[in-house]
Amino acid sequence: MGSISGLLDFLESKGRAAATARLLLSVAFVLVVWEAVASVVESRLLIVPPLEVAQALSEESASGALWTNAVATIGAVAISFPIAALIGISVGLALASSRFLALTAGPLLTALNSVPVIALAPLFIAWLGLGFASKFVIVTIFSMFPILVTTEVGLRATDRHLVEAARSFNASYWQIFRTVTLPFALPFIISGIRVGWARALVAIIVAEFFGAFAGFGFAILAAGQSFDTAVLLAYVILLGILGLSGSLFFEWLERRLAPWRQDQ
Amino acid sequence: MTAASVLSVESVTKVFSGAGKPDLVALEDVSFSVGDGEFVAIVGASGSGKSTLLRIIDGLLPATSGAVRVGGEAVTHPGFDRAMVFQQDCLLPWKTVLDNVAYGLVIGGAKIADAHETARRFVQMAGLTGFEHHYPHQLSGGMRQRVNVARALAVNPRILLLDEPFAALDAQTREIMQGELLNIWSESRTTVVLITHQIEEAVFLSDRVVVFSARPGSVREEIPVPLPRPRTMEMKRSEVFVSLVDRVWRLIEHEVRKAVEEGMA
Repeated sequence: MGSISGLLDFLESKGRAAATARLLLSVAFVLVVWEAVASVVESRLLIVPPLEVAQALSEESASGALWTNAVATIGAVAISFPIAALIGISVGLALASSRFLALTAGPLLTALNSVPVIALAPLFIAWLGLGFASKFVIVTIFSMFPILVTTEVGLRATDRHLVEAARSFNASYWQIFRTVTLPFALPFIISGIRVGWARALVAIIVAEFFGAFAGFGFAILAAGQSFDTAVLLAYVILLGILGLSGSLFFEWLERRLAPWRQDQ
Repeated sequence: MTAASVLSVESVTKVFSGAGKPDLVALEDVSFSVGDGEFVAIVGASGSGKSTLLRIIDGLLPATSGAVRVGGEAVTHPGFDRAMVFQQDCLLPWKTVLDNVAYGLVIGGAKIADAHETARRFVQMAGLTGFEHHYPHQLSGGMRQRVNVARALAVNPRILLLDEPFAALDAQTREIMQGELLNIWSESRTTVVLITHQIEEAVFLSDRVVVFSARPGSVREEIPVPLPRPRTMEMKRSEVFVSLVDRVWRLIEHEVRKAVEEGMA
């Protein structure tokens, strides 16, 4: 009993070793359940055991298809997402600093955000063709909204007492922005970027579903149409890894940029 | 106005006018002056415009009419001849104690290294040595307010403005902090204007208590405090102290009761 509670204490503790252990434990759990379900369900169309998926993955890798698809998908996201973040932060900044803009453009942006922009994907593809341009526009538009919203909210949420204290030292508008408003908004912005990252991955897959010559979304659709469940699951797992590593990276970034929020 | 006065408040009136709301006269014809190195406390019921007056002195708010002069110069905006200690936690949560204390100096254009050197002196003066690299949320309420005082003093102001600096602290911490404030002050001997609603605190700390009446705020009476310095806790039981507190209380009792009743209504 003692060793079990000791193990629990370790898993709930802070630190890199415990975090890694937690991750391995949850991955192992998923693999075990997956294997168990696959051994009960006979149809290999519905589910494929983990080992066969791994095999499919290595075949994709050997044939070079995996790398072509990875370059297409990751390349498109790697270019589109930073630009989406830049646009989101800039527009959020503009909205937070101008009451006029917030009142006029704000409702429009809210409306645009509540429209499932993703549903317009076929339209963008019709306009921009099957290549990079349509992927770029779909990913950018879909992933910039959470960043835009959290930037504006974060900048507006700044404690007015902190601003007053800065003003009492005769701080200029720019100094207040740099030393008070922006640091205050930073954790908000990063959490927006985390949400945006998840949406960027959804957007790229949808864009590739509707029209692409390569990419994870293209490969998943092709595998689905040829009933190759092993390949389909292989790419889904790769997407999961991509999402998780992005999320971990932004978590790390938040810890680096906002250390005062850790033990609050 | 004596020749030695460093701060003079001259017929200051402040009217807040908002669209669709009746004008609110917060301060009406307020005049008093503070001598060099003097510690003045302003007391009054809530709604007597004390905090508004302090913000006008600091330059955060403009007066509707009248003027505030520091060393003869009219105040138009915040400046380094004045520094304010606020009631709330106004420390930057992402900066360490040292960086918070250095903040005003850095804003004023000092080099980081120089600002840190000065800040270190004031951190020590505030009894926070060893906590330089702590963040505000790792400190107690009393320690945070000491950082606040050190941050204000670090810019070497001619006048230190204290806006209910201990209001958020519990009674015991407050007592201790009053003593510590006097210790820090005895080293710097800056001119101080303290706003408080606590009469004992005002009498214990100051050379002179300016009693405000409420709605609109105006000076009702100025009461010198003849207690010697350094002040000790025992003085709080002296006859002079008790009778001074009583006198101030009588002056504002009616308004405090009215404010309480309005609060309950």
